[in-house]
Formats: sequence, structure tokens, C-alpha cells
Amino acid sequence: MPKLTIDGREIEVAAGTTVIAAARDLGIEIPHFCWHPELSVAANCRMCLVEIEKQPKLQPSCQLPAADGMVVHTDTPRVREARRAMMEYLLLNHPVDCPICDQAGECKLQDYYQLYDLKASRLWSEEGKVRKRKRTVFGPHVVYDAERCVMCTRCVRFCAEIAKDPVLIEVHRGDHSEIAVAPGRTLDHAYSLMTAHVCPVGALTSRDFRFQCRVWFLSSTPTICPGCATGCNALLDHRRGEAFRLRPRDNPALNRGWLCDDGVLAFRLHNDHRLTTPELGRGEEARPASWDEALAEAAALLGKLPKAQRAAVLSAEHSCEENWALCVFAREALGVERFFVAGRAAGEADELLRHADKNPNRAGVRLMLGAEPEPLEKLVEEATAGSLRGVVALGAAAATTGPAAATGLLRLEALVSLAPRRGPLPEAAHVRLPCPSFAEAAGTYVNARGQPQEFPRAMPPRGEALEVPELLARLARRLDLTLPFRSTADVRAAVMPRLPQPAAGGGAP
Amino acid sequence: MPYVVRRPDRNLWEQSYVPETVRGLAVTLRHFFRNVLGRRDTVTLLYPEQRRPYPPRFRGVHRLTQRDDGAPRCTACMCCQTACPAECIHIVAGEYPADHPLAHVEKYPAEFWIDELRCVSCGLCVEACPCDAIRMDTGLHPRPVEARPHLMYERNLLLSISDTAGSVFTANPRKK
Amino acid sequence: MTTFFVTMTAIKIVAFVLFLLGGGALMVWVERRMSAMMQDRIGPQRANLGPFRLWGLIHIVADGLKMMVKEDFVPRRADRLLHALAPILAFFPVVVTFAVVPFGPTLDFAHLGAVNHNGPLFSGPWATTLQVAAVDVGLLFVLAIAGTGVVGAVLAGAASDNRFSLLGSLRAASQMISYEVTLGASLVGCILVFGTLRIEEMVLWQHQHLWGLLVQPLAFLLFLVAGIAESKRVPFDLPEGESEIVAGYFLEYSGMKFAMFFLGELMEIVVLAILLTVFFLGGWDVPFLFADGLHVDLPLLDAWVWHWPHWVVVLVQLLGFTVKVAGMVFLQMALRWTLPRFRYDQLMDLGWKVLLPLSLGNIAVTAVVLTALR
Repeated sequence: MPKLTIDGREIEVAAGTTVIAAARDLGIEIPHFCWHPELSVAANCRMCLVEIEKQPKLQPSCQLPAADGMVVHTDTPRVREARRAMMEYLLLNHPVDCPICDQAGECKLQDYYQLYDLKASRLWSEEGKVRKRKRTVFGPHVVYDAERCVMCTRCVRFCAEIAKDPVLIEVHRGDHSEIAVAPGRTLDHAYSLMTAHVCPVGALTSRDFRFQCRVWFLSSTPTICPGCATGCNALLDHRRGEAFRLRPRDNPALNRGWLCDDGVLAFRLHNDHRLTTPELGRGEEARPASWDEALAEAAALLGKLPKAQRAAVLSAEHSCEENWALCVFAREALGVERFFVAGRAAGEADELLRHADKNPNRAGVRLMLGAEPEPLEKLVEEATAGSLRGVVALGAAAATTGPAAATGLLRLEALVSLAPRRGPLPEAAHVRLPCPSFAEAAGTYVNARGQPQEFPRAMPPRGEALEVPELLARLARRLDLTLPFRSTADVRAAVMPRLPQPAAGGGAP
Repeated sequence: MPYVVRRPDRNLWEQSYVPETVRGLAVTLRHFFRNVLGRRDTVTLLYPEQRRPYPPRFRGVHRLTQRDDGAPRCTACMCCQTACPAECIHIVAGEYPADHPLAHVEKYPAEFWIDELRCVSCGLCVEACPCDAIRMDTGLHPRPVEARPHLMYERNLLLSISDTAGSVFTANPRKK
Repeated sequence: MTTFFVTMTAIKIVAFVLFLLGGGALMVWVERRMSAMMQDRIGPQRANLGPFRLWGLIHIVADGLKMMVKEDFVPRRADRLLHALAPILAFFPVVVTFAVVPFGPTLDFAHLGAVNHNGPLFSGPWATTLQVAAVDVGLLFVLAIAGTGVVGAVLAGAASDNRFSLLGSLRAASQMISYEVTLGASLVGCILVFGTLRIEEMVLWQHQHLWGLLVQPLAFLLFLVAGIAESKRVPFDLPEGESEIVAGYFLEYSGMKFAMFFLGELMEIVVLAILLTVFFLGGWDVPFLFADGLHVDLPLLDAWVWHWPHWVVVLVQLLGFTVKVAGMVFLQMALRWTLPRFRYDQLMDLGWKVLLPLSLGNIAVTAVVLTALR
């Protein structure tokens, strides 16, 4: 266990720890481009040079293993001069096109220039700059600008080491070196957006986020990726009720700072096809309605059927709180005994992050119900047979989307759908009641490993949408019943004891 | 903390009020007679008929400057939108399709709205612009309109407005 | 009561009321244009009849028309009767004060072209004094009528159901009552000197001896100040105050009712100017001009007399009266646009602690001097 001194403070670290990591543990930020805690060391940006006592030359701290008795200085005039010189080199051929660069505002070149350089370029003419490729499409999600690239090779190492698909390579030499896609390939693996994420500058940027919004307009709220059962920790970037992207949030025990492409783009679940006002009627007859009208209609439709012919559909897309509220409502207000579960269809999986179940909370639904819910196919069968006639359903997605399913759902005499957006279930419903998206209500997801993870609300519900507990409490009052909750906070208190204790290191803050 | 305000020292002459009143009358009446008989010191302008020329730095309605090929200089960097304290600028950035003659321009404002009703004419957008794409040198006031939406100035309208000299291009040679 | 007397009285009343109303309306113009000239502005002059703007005089007509067609608004919970009565009560004393004021000497229609050797005041079958009513208690009548002005202000505030109005009327009432004391007391000196309460005789005394201004200079000052305070104009315009009580007691008035307050206030300027002229500036007296003509009788020079016909003398004297009134109006206007307003405590201090003792002292000194001279 080597013990070293950094800027006058002592720290004992595990053998093999590099100086930059040791400094980070102390809260000392050493500037760097190429170093990334999850990637191998390249030591090619030379931004992290530090002064070590009894060593004549400055050393790259990202590569230097901490040794016993080592005395490190990270902020001496020599070090500062070295950083300034490095910045001058890095910016020598940089096009300084920050106005059209999406990275502006979260760019390491901008940050370090402000911190360590602040000098005008000494290049005598703009014409002297080496011109390289701009706006080169690397893959379905990523675009590359060679002029902005500082050749840190983080993206190359990410593809090779994390995504296990070495599709990016370095080409040419010196001033002319740049990143390229391997011949015959495109950057199309499932984690391609992470290359844009690890890029410290504006060289690799997301085609989806491109020009959508300046990053300084965005607010960030910690959330859990709603894309699959892995439950990766993420940050939701949003502005004025609209979501723009998800970014990975470091959870060493779970996603280690990564997110798959589907996860990054899962913010679309919040933006697209939203249901913002209560609606009545199917297909051609659909029309917007007031809450009073819609709740009265829902209560009337459900209330006239015998208990045995009513059922509830829980949603693996929705949080434990929302599902528990529906369970309570269905049992107490409708006397339902049959519970089904709906969700998005299964998809691709891999060993890194992606889970085949594309719903974030199937395990949570099971916990809330206290039993295994029946699959939606069974509901469709019974609806076709006519033994189930009235259903209250949460969520938009129905994994079975074939014509048979649609026919079955259409045979229902009463389908009340609580959904944040349009989808097979709400389209087949007689009454559509808008509820919040994953970003608009606080909640808890239980992932495939059984870890419960809470997340806060990022913004108020869009349009007239009501949080599910409140919505169900109002609906219950139409059925002359008072539910034991009126808000998400009430429900959370009831849900908490039903959840397993959060695993160490997991969970949202 | 309480503090004492000293009353001004006034002698009996001033205290008696009358002589000082007479002095005051002398001032006002001097102006009165000068204006009534003879030279007029009045500074009032009869506005619609007489107009004071605007100073060259007058901040009028915004305009978007054009490149030599007529395209907007604006790159939709949103610096003006960021700087605007009235939040009256709304920009939607766009990209030209690959076969477009301006395809070499990476980013351009597909939409550019200025709500002249909300604008406080502070000129910070002009200061913030790195491309000299937005200027307020038109010497114009927003035209009176009958409905609020008519003062939402749109990109092509802003591009068509010229400066006081009639030019739709940048007036700043350094930014050429 | 001869037909001639009745006819002449009616003519005089009509002439005087017209003079006052016209004067009040003209005050609007004087006020605006004069303040503009003092402040290097132009003032309102846009109202026009085609190309004629007449230096803004047409604004008077425009204002009048506007006032007449404006909505006559009465607050919902106001006392409608008193609300309507108040402007009349405020307007009335201003007009009535004139009844006893002489604006010229006696005019004899029988001898218009002849030289008059009877002196300025005389009687005859075709002679009439240029005064609506020559009463024994003329001066007391003036003070009594002026005292009723406060009723209108108080009623206006009380009837409006508005606390700003109420506060304004309280201020107006206490201010007017306070300064009325000085107003009356300052004239006692004049009464002592002139030895009469008949106003036409006061003027006659000044015609024969000296102007009141010269024998009672302090009284002139006190009367001027108290008179301005009575008319509630700057620097004593505390019943109004945009920042505290808006327009004060006539806040809830609009249209012609407001116009009556407004016009009444402006006519008070003319009234005060006339009273100052009558009591202190010799009324219709013109220096060196006597009933039979011009007498230039300077020391070291031979006396020199130029006889004028009766009508010329009276006309010049009427003109002199008008000029003096105009001068006093001008003085008030100039003061109003020169001085800043008082604070309310300063107003009360000035009234009770300065003006009142001064006026009492003036009476004492006058009495002592008169006794000593006798």
C-alpha cells in the first residue's frame, strides 16, 4: 500500500493506482483529455503532466503508478507552463468554430483554455492551419469532425475495450492524424453514442442531439434509464418540459458510467406521442374531454360490470408506486382478482448492459402485486372468449401487437387506459386518462437484479396529465370509495417496506 | 443606527422667506420674459413634424445580416438567445441537405424569431454575436400593429431589413 | 328702485359674471402657457381651427367641450345628493364675492361728454356706481362669503366614499380655516386706516390719499399669502397630492362637476387679484387721474391740469383696474410656478405661528400709530 503526498496532502492508495486517480480521490482535479477511469492508459495528451520531487522531468500522472514516499506537486509554475504550452499545441490547428459546435459549454478545450491558457493564437494566419475533414458521418448516431479532434483516442479505446468492437482506428501521422472508421465498417455497434460521450471535445457528436439545444440551456435531473431491465443510472437533460438526452451517471456497481444507444435515446419516451388531455371513444369517435367527463365515463363503464368480469393490467414500464396504486384501486374499488402485466416487447441483449426485457420495472410489478401477474396474451384470449369484459390498464405499450391482440382488446366492453403516451392499449381504450411520463413523477424501479432504485421528478406533468395515485383517488371517489392515498408521496410511504433493501453502491441519490 | 440630520444654517434674511421668493421669481420670470419677448430657449420639438436625428448608435429594430450570397450570416449558435435578458429570441438550428448549394455551411437558423414586444432594446444580442449576424443599426422602431403575433419578427423579415444606409450586409469590415 | 337702477344692476351682474367666467377660462390658458414659457417649453398649442392655432387659446374651447361630454361618474356608495351639491357650493362663493367689489367710480350717463367736477362718487338720476351692490358691511360680506368655500370642499370629500377624498377634504378644511383667521386679521389694519367697511369708500380713501400697499405693506403680504392658501394653490396645494391622496377631495369627480371645482379654483385667482387690487392697489385709481382729468402736481414744477371728458376718465380708470388685476394674477401665477410646496406641518406652523402673530402685531402697531397721529 504505497503512501504518497500530493500538494502537501498524504494519501494511501492500493498498489498500482496511478497518480491521477490518487489525486482524484483527494479531490484534486488534474486536467486531462485522454485519461478515462474505465479505459486503458494512453498518456498521449500530455495535459496531466505533474512535477515529482527528485525527478528532473515532468511526468504524466495518468501513467505513473503511485509509489511509496512520492511527493507530487500539481500546481507549480512549471506545471502550469507545461499545461499552457500543451493547450497552445492542441489549439494550434483547432478551427475555433464553437458557435456551431454542439460540445460548446461542456468542452474540455474551452474549460482548460479558460483555466490554463487564455492567450491569443500565435499562428500568423488562419491559412496556416491544417484543414481536415468536417462533418463526417461515422454511423447512424455519430458524426465526426477531424479538425476539432485532439487525438486522445478515448473513442478508439472505448470501442476496443468496452464495446468489444474495434471499429475506430487512428490514421495518418502528426498534424494530419485523425480518427477513421475501419474500412468497410460503420460505427454501428450498440454503444456508439458512448464514443461521443467519452470524446472530451467536439470531434464526435451525437447526430440525434445535433443542433437541438445548447447544453447550457439544459437542466439535469438524475433518473433511471427506462429503456430496459438493467436500470442504468442516468441524467436526464431537459428544458421547458422537453427532454433532450440521457447521459450515463456513474454507478460502479451497475453501469460503470456507460449507457447503450437505446438508453441514451430512451428520453424519446417522454417527448413523443404524448397524451396530454383526457379522451373518450375509440378510433374515429375519439374526442377530447374534461377530467370530470372522462372520470364519470370511466366509473360508469367499469361500475356496471360484474366483479368477476373485471381485470387490471399493470405495467412493467411504470414505477412501483404507480403499479401499487393501481393494485390497491383495482382490488378495493373494483374487486378485481385477475391481474395482468403489459410492457414493451423483448429485444436484443448483451453481456455489458443491455437486457432482453425492455421494461424497467417487471420485477417491481411482481413485488407490488405480491404474485406473478398473468401475461397480456391471456387477457386477449379471455377477452376474445368474452369471460373478461372490463379492464383498467396502466401504460401505453402492449407487447402483443398483432391483429389478434387488437381484436381481442377491441372486444372488451370497458377499457380504461391510464397512459402517458399513445400506444396499443390506449388506442383500444374507451377512456384515455393522461398520466406522467417517467420524467414527470418520482418513483422507484426494481431492476432485473432485484435492486430498487428511486428517482426524483424532473418536471411537472405535461398538459392536463395527473399523477397516477391522484388520478386513481379521483376515480375511486366516483365509485364512492376513498383510497388510502392522495399523492405519490403517500404511495411511496406504503411502497417502501415492500421493496428489498437497496444494494450497496446502487440506487439513486 | 440613528443619526442626526443637521438643519441647514439659515440667517434671518433667508429665514424670512420673502427675499428668497423674490430671487426665485427673478429666475422664473427671466425665463418667462426671454421666451415671450425675443429669443426662444425652448427645447421642445413638435414631434411628428419636427424630429431629432437619431444618434448613430441608436438601437432600433433588429436585422439579420446577409452573406454575400444572400444566406444568413447567422450560424444559430444561440449566443444572442443566451444573452437576451428578455428571452425574446427563439432560434431553431438547421442543417442544409447534402445537395444544397450551401451545404458547406454546417449550421444555419432554420427559424429565427424575435418578439419585438418583449425586446428591451438592450443590445446584448448584438454584443454577444460572434459573427456580426444580428445588428440593431436599422434606425427603425417596431411598426405599430393590430395583433401581437405581428410583432413576432420572423427570419426572412429580419434578413430583409437594411441598415440606415440601405445595406443588408455586415457593417463591420473586421467580420467580413 | 327705478327701472334704471334695476337695469344697470342686471347689466353689471351679467358683465361681472361673464368677466369672471371668461377670466377663469382664460386662466387655464395663462396657467399652461405661462408655466411653459417659464420652463423653456412650448405648452399646448395643437388644438386648431384649420390653420389657426391662436397660441393655444383654442384649447380652452376643446377642454370645455371635453368636460361637457365626459361621463359624469358617481361612485356606487357615494351620497348622490351631496356629491352633486358640493361643486356648486364650492363654486358659489367665488362668484358671489364680486357683488360688493367696485370696479370703477360712478358713471353718469347724463354727462358722458362733459367734464365731471363732482368727484368720483356722486349720485344723480342717470348715475350708477360701477359696483353691483354698495353695502355698509362690504368687507365683512367678502370675508363671510369666502368662509363658506370650505363647505364645498368638505362635502365633496365626505360624499365621495373614498378615503383619499376624505383625507383631502380634511386637509382642505383645516388649511382654509387656519388661513381665514389671518385673511381677516390682516384686513383689520386696512379698516383702521381707511376708517370704513364700505369697499367703495376704501377705494375712495386710497384715491384721495395713498394706496393701501404703501400704508399697510405687511398687511398686503399677509393677505396675499393667506389668499393663496385659501385658494389651495402651490405652495399650499396640500389638499391634492398625487403620491399620497391623488387628487384629494375632488378625486371622484369628472365631467362638468370636476370642471366646476377646476374653474372655481382658477377663478379664485381672479377673485384674489381683484381683492388685492381693491384693498391695496387703489382699485380703479390711476395715479394723477382725477374725476375731472389729469392733474400733474409734482414738487418743483408748476401744477398742470388737463381736463378730460367724464367717459374717458372712467374708461381709463376701468382699464387701470383691469391692468392691476392682471398684474396680481400674473404675480400669483409666477409664484405658483416658482415655489415648491410646503409640508403639512410647515403649512400649519406658518399659518398659526408666523402669519397670525404678524397680523395681530400689524393691528397693534397700526392702532398705536393712528392714535399717535390723531
